[in-house]
Amino acid sequence: MSAPGITQPTEAIARARAGDADAWGELYREYAPAIFRFCRRALPTREDAEDATMEIFMKLKDKLIQYDATRSFSAWLYKVSANHCWDMLRRRKIRQDKETEDVENVPLEHPDPNQLDQLIEQRTSEEVRKALDKLGGRARMALVMRYYSDMSYDEIADALGVRRAFVGVVLLRARHELRQALEGNAALAAGGAS
Amino acid sequence: MSEMPKDDGKHLDEMTLLLYIERQLDRARGLEVSAHTQECDACRTLLRALERESRLLTRAMLEEDEPLPSRLAQFQERARKSMQWIWGLVFGLAATGVYALYTTYIQPWQTQLENAGFGGSNLLGLLIFQGAMWKGWQSVITLLEVLAMLTLAGLGAMFFRRRIRRGSALALVFAGLCTVLALPAGVSATEHRGGQNPTVSKDETIKGNIYLSGERVRVEGTVDGDVFAAAKDIDIDGHVTGDVISAGRYLRMRGTVDGNIRSAGNTAVISGTLGKNMMWFGDAVTVDATGKVGGSITMFGGTLAIDGRLGRDILFFGEEINVNGGVGGAIQQKGHALIIGPNAQVDGPIHFEGDQPASVSPEAKLASPVVFKQVEHKREYRESDYYVWRVIWTAAFVLFGMVLFLLAPGFARETISSAESYGAPIGLGILVFFGVPLAALIACITVVGLPLGVLTFGLWCLMLCSAELVVGAVVGNLILGQPKDTWGMIGRMALGFVIVRIVYTPLSQVHILGLVAALGIWMWGMGAISLAIYRRIQPVIAPNVPSAPYAPPMPPNTTVGGPLPA
Repeated sequence: MSAPGITQPTEAIARARAGDADAWGELYREYAPAIFRFCRRALPTREDAEDATMEIFMKLKDKLIQYDATRSFSAWLYKVSANHCWDMLRRRKIRQDKETEDVENVPLEHPDPNQLDQLIEQRTSEEVRKALDKLGGRARMALVMRYYSDMSYDEIADALGVRRAFVGVVLLRARHELRQALEGNAALAAGGAS
Repeated sequence: MSEMPKDDGKHLDEMTLLLYIERQLDRARGLEVSAHTQECDACRTLLRALERESRLLTRAMLEEDEPLPSRLAQFQERARKSMQWIWGLVFGLAATGVYALYTTYIQPWQTQLENAGFGGSNLLGLLIFQGAMWKGWQSVITLLEVLAMLTLAGLGAMFFRRRIRRGSALALVFAGLCTVLALPAGVSATEHRGGQNPTVSKDETIKGNIYLSGERVRVEGTVDGDVFAAAKDIDIDGHVTGDVISAGRYLRMRGTVDGNIRSAGNTAVISGTLGKNMMWFGDAVTVDATGKVGGSITMFGGTLAIDGRLGRDILFFGEEINVNGGVGGAIQQKGHALIIGPNAQVDGPIHFEGDQPASVSPEAKLASPVVFKQVEHKREYRESDYYVWRVIWTAAFVLFGMVLFLLAPGFARETISSAESYGAPIGLGILVFFGVPLAALIACITVVGLPLGVLTFGLWCLMLCSAELVVGAVVGNLILGQPKDTWGMIGRMALGFVIVRIVYTPLSQVHILGLVAALGIWMWGMGAISLAIYRRIQPVIAPNVPSAPYAPPMPPNTTVGGPLPA
């Protein structure tokens, strides 16, 4: 996992599964910041992220029994979180039907490498985060799953309900949206400065 | 961004390059891309740009730009409390369900049975159908209603919380609840009288219920409602149209009570007319030669003497019954002695379980002879057979548990894990223990529901048989620690089960303690099994995560995705 870099808390998980509240507390303290950040990146508002984090951990109490201890706990936790966040977005109809229709028709353009290079060079992390907020639900979710929690294409396909073959297309389209948002932010900033 | 040609032999498209750096291409295609980017400046530049974009994205996302909100930092403690709230909700729902079942099914039956003239010949019938005690549970019904309302409020809070933000949702729900509570309640006149000798005088008529408490309580006038009395001596010489619910040393009833008498005390003497039933917890009850009881008498106590007339049955748990009057129904007694005098007339069957046969006068008029059953005091534990059978049964249960654990080791592990959290399984166990047979019974009423009802009841019985094994496994785990494999689990179950049996066997010789222990074990075990089933039927979010796609080995001199030319 890219995000938390936490070692597998095998003992705490076993104790939490047996109903030990202190062990559950340990897991919460260890993972809550990373999960909150995940939700913060994936969901539109800070309040949504707070709600989602709490709901995920409440859900986790019941779900912990389903966790396969031979696999990475944080990977499993991110998958639970991704499903939860995507469900939240879907319930609010942020997921756009248009995206499903367009997903196969995204133009596979070859951008100007130098221009892209320049765009990336000049952008700070904060600007990228602001641009992320402007993306559609699916695009943001895909980028977060891939570049925050390092989920595999299979996992992303499973979470978003698309075929695995289209995960790359979804990600590329999300990158295009992000570049447009970054360019828009830059133009806005330039307009504001002049 | 300006467009460049697609993969026409000169340049690779962006999709291919992205899949390359994401390691999603097969090995052959990966090598092709690698070779191409070593020769093509434009594609190599784009590849590097995409890699930088990936790194920028990851960095932007991983940066800790804001601390964990205090609401989340405090959530852990609140979550513990919220679990209690959830269980409160479960109990509330259970209470609501019981109340709904009562009003929907049992109450109409009760009315129909009463109209059909069926009397309560056993305790359950008396308690539930005949209503000998039900009205005394009025406060319990009120409690159920409060629980039901709180449950609704909780559900309302959960519902609104998703739509309106926290504070406002709670405010809305509780404001609504307060409004409901503030609505005027139905008119119910209730009077209270205290002092040394509270009295309802001869020429007085009370409309509604009355509470009387003091040294000596007297009702000489008319009470058009129920009388609740707490005193050393209670005299009912007037007319009570409702029930008399009392606690006191001595109750004398020379007047008329149209409803029931439900009391606890030392002695009661009925010389007047009681319209319905009597339930007495205490030492002695006498129905005088002038006394008439329209319904049944249920008594837990010392002696019961019937010299007057009883319309229906006697259900008695105590020392002695002395009948020298008329009994319209059956007599069911578990006690020491039954004496039937020369003036006695009993119209129903007589079942007597006691130490010695009933003493029946030859002049007594009985519809059928007394069916006597000698009480067998449990002394079997002094015999060796008893222990042999105990060992055989224990071994049989362990074998049964072993088969179950081997058949479904995963489920067994989940069940034991659920049982180890104590509170939740016991709470759920109470619900399942009482609720499932009731639900099965209701399902059996309809032809369509009959198989479902029978199946549900069968499952309930299986859970009941397995409950002790689950508790045994928990005890075994407590002693030996968590097992590593199925046989370890079975070994712990066997050890724990034997220990539970060793502790439980002497307890079972003491009736109440044995019953409490058995109920505790059943509810705990059944709750754990139910919890495990519940968790199983929940939609699985992330089981069996599929393995990552094949990633070709990275050639040397690579950065993120693939090889770059020197």
